[in-house]
Amino acid sequence: MLKRGKLEIMRDVLKIIQDNRNSIKPTPLLRKSKMSSIRFKEYYNELIERNLIREIINERQDKYVTLTEKGFKFLERYRSIVDFIDEFDL
Amino acid sequence: MDLMRPPLEFLFPPEAGAELIYSFVIIVCSLMIYFATKEMYELSSYKGIKYFRKSFLFFAIAYFFRYFIKFILTIFNLGNILDISPRFIGGISLFIFLYSSSMAIFYLLYSVMWKKWNHSKLKIFLFNLAALEIAIIGVIFGGPITDLILNLILFVFVIFILFIAYKDSKNKQKGKNLFIIYLLLFIFWVLNVIDVLIPRFLELYRLMIYVFSILIFMIILYKVLKKTGS
Repeated sequence: MLKRGKLEIMRDVLKIIQDNRNSIKPTPLLRKSKMSSIRFKEYYNELIERNLIREIINERQDKYVTLTEKGFKFLERYRSIVDFIDEFDL
Repeated sequence: MDLMRPPLEFLFPPEAGAELIYSFVIIVCSLMIYFATKEMYELSSYKGIKYFRKSFLFFAIAYFFRYFIKFILTIFNLGNILDISPRFIGGISLFIFLYSSSMAIFYLLYSVMWKKWNHSKLKIFLFNLAALEIAIIGVIFGGPITDLILNLILFVFVIFILFIAYKDSKNKQKGKNLFIIYLLLFIFWVLNVIDVLIPRFLELYRLMIYVFSILIFMIILYKVLKKTGS
């Protein structure tokens, strides 16, 4: 199996959130993303820092993760970003 | 002869028109590439896209200082208003042109090689150092032979790196096309630098160099716009 690139991993994590009606708890997200918890934490923090996802805490103090507008945009443009990188061998 | 020209023609001799249009087209193409890839970079923060964009930003700066700045200073008579000697303006413009065009080439090279070279800030620092050296040598010690040797060394270095990139390319056909485009871009970059440093050396072929350089930038712009959907 080929090693997933950083962009592909980010896309996969965002896709999991989107496929869960844009709301998922961090633990099932970790499980579905098929990464070690250390690696997941790194990606998770980076996605938050880059404003692609955000955490929401509901009235029962449960933490949920949702996509931001930028996160949706990333998923929408993912194919063209990868094509562009491939085209110019970046 | 120049004294017999009407005032406007004296300020802008006919041959200046071609150079002005040429610089303008290259600046517009470079800035269009820079801004068309802005959204992609903001979404992905991908380093290769970052270096690719920086390369074209430096191309725009280089061509602005290649000729456009002289045009603006002359048309608004800023040299006299600000009491700056033409020699000083010429020296500064040449320095920025040489530094920016070298950085543009280094960044373009790095956009292809950054993964293989294990991205590090030291390399970018070394590129800046090399570009500064090229600019200082060009301005202070620049003579035709020094300039030619300097550009030939740089050209051989660039071709060598490009060849390695092509050899390692996953998609050979696509890699070949990109290799040819970048190769032509580097050849015309060298010709442009020589044209600026030793104006009489390529006088006969100047128009041809302009046309081919514009063509290469337009091909890259077309490829960028096709992929970005801008």
